Amino acid sequence: MQSVYIRAQIGEWLFTFFRAVVIVLSLLFVILPLIWLFINSIKIPLEWLSIPPVIVPSKITFENYVQLFADPNSDALLCLKNSVIITLAATALSVFIGSLAAYSLTHLKLPFKIVPFIAGMVLLLGFYPKITSVIPYFVVMKNLGLMDTQMAIIIAFVGLNLPTTVWLMITFYEELPKEIEQSAMLDGCGPWGRFYKIVLPLALPGMVVAAILSALLCWIEFMIASSLAIVNAKTLPIAVSAYLQDKGMHWGPMSALGTLTVVPVIIFCVFVQKYLVRGLTFGAIKE
Amino acid sequence: MVKRKFWISETILLMLFLIPLLLVLGITDLYPLAFSTFLSTTSWDLIDRGASAEWVGLRNFLTVLRDPIFVDSFKTSLKFSLGATAAELVLGLIVAYMVVGESKVMRAVRTILLIPMFIPGVVVGTMWRMMLNVNAGIVNHLLSVVGIPPLSWFSAPDTALVSTILVDIWYSTPFVMIILVAGITTLPGDPVRAAMIDGASRWQIFRYIMLPLLAPILTVATLFRFIGSFFVLDHIYTTTYGGPGFTTNVVSFHLYRQGLTHFKLSYVAAASWLMIGFSLMVIVVLRTIRGFLERSAAAG
Repeated sequence: MQSVYIRAQIGEWLFTFFRAVVIVLSLLFVILPLIWLFINSIKIPLEWLSIPPVIVPSKITFENYVQLFADPNSDALLCLKNSVIITLAATALSVFIGSLAAYSLTHLKLPFKIVPFIAGMVLLLGFYPKITSVIPYFVVMKNLGLMDTQMAIIIAFVGLNLPTTVWLMITFYEELPKEIEQSAMLDGCGPWGRFYKIVLPLALPGMVVAAILSALLCWIEFMIASSLAIVNAKTLPIAVSAYLQDKGMHWGPMSALGTLTVVPVIIFCVFVQKYLVRGLTFGAIKE
Repeated sequence: MVKRKFWISETILLMLFLIPLLLVLGITDLYPLAFSTFLSTTSWDLIDRGASAEWVGLRNFLTVLRDPIFVDSFKTSLKFSLGATAAELVLGLIVAYMVVGESKVMRAVRTILLIPMFIPGVVVGTMWRMMLNVNAGIVNHLLSVVGIPPLSWFSAPDTALVSTILVDIWYSTPFVMIILVAGITTLPGDPVRAAMIDGASRWQIFRYIMLPLLAPILTVATLFRFIGSFFVLDHIYTTTYGGPGFTTNVVSFHLYRQGLTHFKLSYVAAASWLMIGFSLMVIVVLRTIRGFLERSAAAG
């Protein structure tokens, strides 16, 4: 009996040790590349590509960041502005359109299973490979004269976000107690009034989750944005992707731009971590 | 009578709520998909001469299937996807099991580990391209410190694809981890407790009790990651740009370039539909597996 207990105890110690090793290694694996990106962004030009690489910069400089914004040839400021505007507009629109539609889809009663059909179609549109619609959408925007505009990218991003937003909101509405709405209906409150005054405040946490996911997706999206932007509507990821071939040796500004793209994400994630996990797992855990 | 009028106004208003949704999805998905269907059956390769579209039946599909570069890119995607998905599932499962818990420390650890998935893929690629640079990269330097000769990473045909898989592991394992953490957290406690009382070891509990219960959610994670990595584009774009040669020319990258630099719209449309068919097949297969696992979990 005693030996079984001791063996179990040793097993527990080994597990705790193994656990600590795994956690430390994965934290290092995630964090070190990001720190290295930052270190590269504060190096002087001589140390960008030195062999062997300089781990501790001999001199710390913020010249790479200054160059991004001061250099007349650099479009970093424009791209930053576009990214912020597009992310905010697309997020606001997706949450508004998505929560309105989800409310309708959970309350509307129509014959021939039209409502479940629409909901199912929205779900499917969230799953097919986007490369399929990128090029036809690009042709449509070209024909409408909307190439290289923020508008074209905003609409594309709203479409990209809507399936997730709609389904997230549907699951939220379904969790709300039905009685409150029913009593409001008896008091003569119409659908808009019920949505605006009763459901909206209750579903606010759901909308926050949807907004967070949408904002993060808009901030990182590259494929669709790069197919639509030429000069004026370029977003930050497109600016980073331009550092290929010859420009690809400019490690200082390239890292500075990368850092600039990553830092808002990190700050944002820390502030919204509670909502974030909820939003990421709703689809997989439900059912 | 009053009730009926009420129902009508109610229904009309609720239908109005759907209009913005249908409008946006119509522009971004439905019309492009319909347009793509049209393109796939016509010869319409130069958009500036759009008027000369001509019905060609299934010829574009045959062209795609007979194109060795497309077939090759499909195989490359398959290799990339299988490698990345397998590695991400194993690593994600191990890490998820280690970081489960409601303590403040574990929450903080999980938030930090999530960061990679919210960084633009092009930035992830750029970052790794610098780190894995053959001469000036930090990784080869660190390897040389412990006596390992420099590796060629993205620049040699035989290491490029594995290197891009490594980047994808950094980028997407957090996603698998967070899904599985949620899965483990919501596991029923009774079987685990019963096994503990019976004196089962941690490994036995994990292997024989938790893993079978997690099987359905593992198939969900597999589905997301398989499709996600099969259609990878962003970090390939900034690490290898499809090269060297065609060694990392994955499907999305191939179609992206054929469509947006060479404007072979009909070719891309036909290939896209073949890829939608392929995704549907994967979804059906994995759903069947999931249904089977759920039934056997319920029975066992």
